[in-house]
Amino acid sequence: MQRKLMWRWVLIGVVTAAAIFFMWPADKKIHLGLDLRGGIHLVLQVNTQDAVRAEVDDAMERVRGDLSEKGFAPALLQRLSAGDGFELRPAPNTPAKTLDKVIDDRLLEFKVDRGVGLTATLRPEVTRAIRDMAVRQGLETIRNRIDQFGVAEPLIQRQGIEGDRIVVQLPGVDDPARVKDLIRATAFLEIKPVVTVAPTQEALLASSGGKLPEDSEIVSGDVEDLEGRITGREYYLLKKASVVTGRDLRTARRSQDTYGQPAVSFTLNPDGATKFSAYTGAHIGDRMAIVLDNKVRSAPVIRGHISDSGIIEGNFTVQGAEDLALVLRAGALPASITYLEERTVGPSLGRDSVIRGLRAGLVGLILVVVFMLFYYKGAGINADVALILNAVLLLGAIGVFKATLTLPGIAGIILTIGMAVDSNVLIFERIREELRLGKTVRNAVDLGFQRALSAIIDSNLTTIISALFLFQFGTGPIKGFAVTLTIGLTISMFTAVFVSRSIFEVLLSRRAKLTTLSI
Amino acid sequence: MRFFHDTHIQFMKYRWHWIAISTALNLVALGLIFFGPGFKYGVDFAGGTQLTVKFKSEPDLARIRTSLENLKLGAVTIQRFDEPERHELLIRLQNPGQEGDFSARMMTALDREFNAQTASMRLNLQGVDAVRDGLAQADPDSVGGTFDNRRAHYEPMASAILNFRKEKGILNGPADLDGVKELSSNAKRYLADNARFGNFSILAADNVGPAVGKDLRKKASYAVGFSLLGMLVYIWLRFQFQYGVGAIVALFHDTLIALGVLSLTGREIDIPTIAALLTLVGYSVNDTVIIFDRIRERVKLDRGKPLVEVMNSAINQTLSRTVITSGLTELVVIALFLFGGGVINTFAFVLMFGIVVGTYSSVFIASPIALGVSNFLEKRKHAHRRR
Repeated sequence: MQRKLMWRWVLIGVVTAAAIFFMWPADKKIHLGLDLRGGIHLVLQVNTQDAVRAEVDDAMERVRGDLSEKGFAPALLQRLSAGDGFELRPAPNTPAKTLDKVIDDRLLEFKVDRGVGLTATLRPEVTRAIRDMAVRQGLETIRNRIDQFGVAEPLIQRQGIEGDRIVVQLPGVDDPARVKDLIRATAFLEIKPVVTVAPTQEALLASSGGKLPEDSEIVSGDVEDLEGRITGREYYLLKKASVVTGRDLRTARRSQDTYGQPAVSFTLNPDGATKFSAYTGAHIGDRMAIVLDNKVRSAPVIRGHISDSGIIEGNFTVQGAEDLALVLRAGALPASITYLEERTVGPSLGRDSVIRGLRAGLVGLILVVVFMLFYYKGAGINADVALILNAVLLLGAIGVFKATLTLPGIAGIILTIGMAVDSNVLIFERIREELRLGKTVRNAVDLGFQRALSAIIDSNLTTIISALFLFQFGTGPIKGFAVTLTIGLTISMFTAVFVSRSIFEVLLSRRAKLTTLSI
Repeated sequence: MRFFHDTHIQFMKYRWHWIAISTALNLVALGLIFFGPGFKYGVDFAGGTQLTVKFKSEPDLARIRTSLENLKLGAVTIQRFDEPERHELLIRLQNPGQEGDFSARMMTALDREFNAQTASMRLNLQGVDAVRDGLAQADPDSVGGTFDNRRAHYEPMASAILNFRKEKGILNGPADLDGVKELSSNAKRYLADNARFGNFSILAADNVGPAVGKDLRKKASYAVGFSLLGMLVYIWLRFQFQYGVGAIVALFHDTLIALGVLSLTGREIDIPTIAALLTLVGYSVNDTVIIFDRIRERVKLDRGKPLVEVMNSAINQTLSRTVITSGLTELVVIALFLFGGGVINTFAFVLMFGIVVGTYSSVFIASPIALGVSNFLEKRKHAHRRR
């Protein structure tokens, strides 16, 4: 008996030591959730439709180019409203052979229906692949940006039934607006030749004979005064074809313009450099526009042959320039992004929650401990030891399983304090009953534990069942609640039954004939 | 010490009274839910954008409302968060019905309304990087050198300011900067003169779009549905049919009353509220099961005794335990309600009520129902035999 009892205590000692090892120091070992640390949780949707549309636009341009080259510029070429295809009405005299060749060459990924003209729609499997690719690229780009921004322990995951959602969790971020902009920035950089500039769109059209040339587009830009204040708007007629784009970038960093204002300078990769130097060499004296996300940032005159670097100027703050350089380095998003869900917890609210949660827990614990001492006297000490051990083991378990402690999780721990003593109460009440029936102390303790067991298991299991479903369907912080409640109740069966019993056994073994029990 | 010494309370004698009271309570709850105020859904389920804002002093609610209604994004509701002296508000833009980043627009609108003076440094709204860069740009300590050099100099000051704000929730004005030891006197003077403190700081922002709101509603109803189903199966496996019915009736009774209380008090139903309801479900069944466990035991021991008496003595024998455990859990939940802070207040509130109702139903409702069902089955069995 003595030997068996010793092993019991060895086990309890080892478990306790392990728990303390895994929870101490708490601020290092216990992982706090976003709601307690402060941070930002975003669910965003990649608008994969954008990528599909871009693919269709590309195909349309190629078709237009091929046909125009042969002298049969299409009578009508427009995208379908669904966005995944286009309608083409060829010039009346277009030979069937020319059209067939264009279809064979350029529309491999399309399903082509021919009637008066033709309707081409992307094949479904191609659309799916494009969408999937857009999400994957988006995920990659966002991960790049977050990495470069430097957030510790970010979580970036794909989610959703259609797989077009991305969850981003960034703990400890203190400027959510900035991070949100950083993630969402499409950062699509293009450098395009300028045809003309005018203060209004009408004036611009008038300069090219009232009609927009097919190979050109109108893009607006801000007009700034010498101090960098925006004073108005002007419109640029640009060639559609870019000289270089963001894809040709090697790197970008914050720098200064000639006035010492923040700017972003970039270097091109060898491919881009070849294109850029050929173009600038041939167009000295012309203007080129630096277009970012479809807005002209600046339109410098080409003073000489430039090989592989350039500068983007225009009304930046230092932070703005740094952020732009960052997103340019990390790459452009393949499609725009919509925020579906945003949850930001400021650090002060998180801190406040921890302090108040701990305070509530402490008050609850003290009340329960004092009551047990008062009501069960000697046995109350036993229950209190079990209860405090329960709290320690619970924190240890959270440390071992790397579970995240959230505010509802703290509530779960506090609730466990109340529910964990239930097992002790059940046992003690039973022992009292048996004593009242005239059983010896030894007998009463044995029977008390034995008879209370089925009730303890039943009662804990019911709560654990609801906690499991809560875990399955809950989100973020609530999962934390389900976890702490489940672990806490499971542990309570160990502490209230095993530990508590061991304490009684020590009492009983000390004096062979114990006639009264303080309970 | 003992609360209930060998009691012989006739719980079962007045069973029809209890059932009548409970039926009335449940009808009231149903009335409140379907014909009364109904439920107020929080941002998780209703969707929309909610800012938790801490103001320096008690703000003019009408101004908040008009400035946000001018955005024409939807109805604006304002509620107090936490204790009044903290000047914290939950400001909600209700169900814009579209996806997007509305919190930024709300913040800008509030900024324009409550912080007249524009400045590049806004100490209550910016992060460390912006404060550091602002100082590096102005360079009040005349450090000179490159920008990055200056940044390195002001970095510790900026993070000290932000840490101070983290503790206080809001910087009230230049005087607060005296509490920031790391700040050089020149920098302090510069900030007092040039930086804007503003009248509020943002504690939290939640934006739940329609797509996510729908997801959350679905998940919550699954959680509740499966949880109830799980209880049913469990009780069915562990107890005889009549006890299962008793426990389930008690369970629905408790949930319904808790929902009625939520409707009556106009508290918002959010994900934590659902968690509290599920916990309550678990707790209520737990309490009932312990009494049933004892009935099961007594039935075997006291063969031949009428079931009413067996039930009565089982309830009496477990009464101490029932009251002590419920009382202790209630104490803990009250501590959570009083000291736990605004975020989990409704959670604690539901449990505070729920535990009382759950305990009541375990004692006064579950067993009488089980008895009724048992008698009914018994009668049918006799009728069969006679035929």
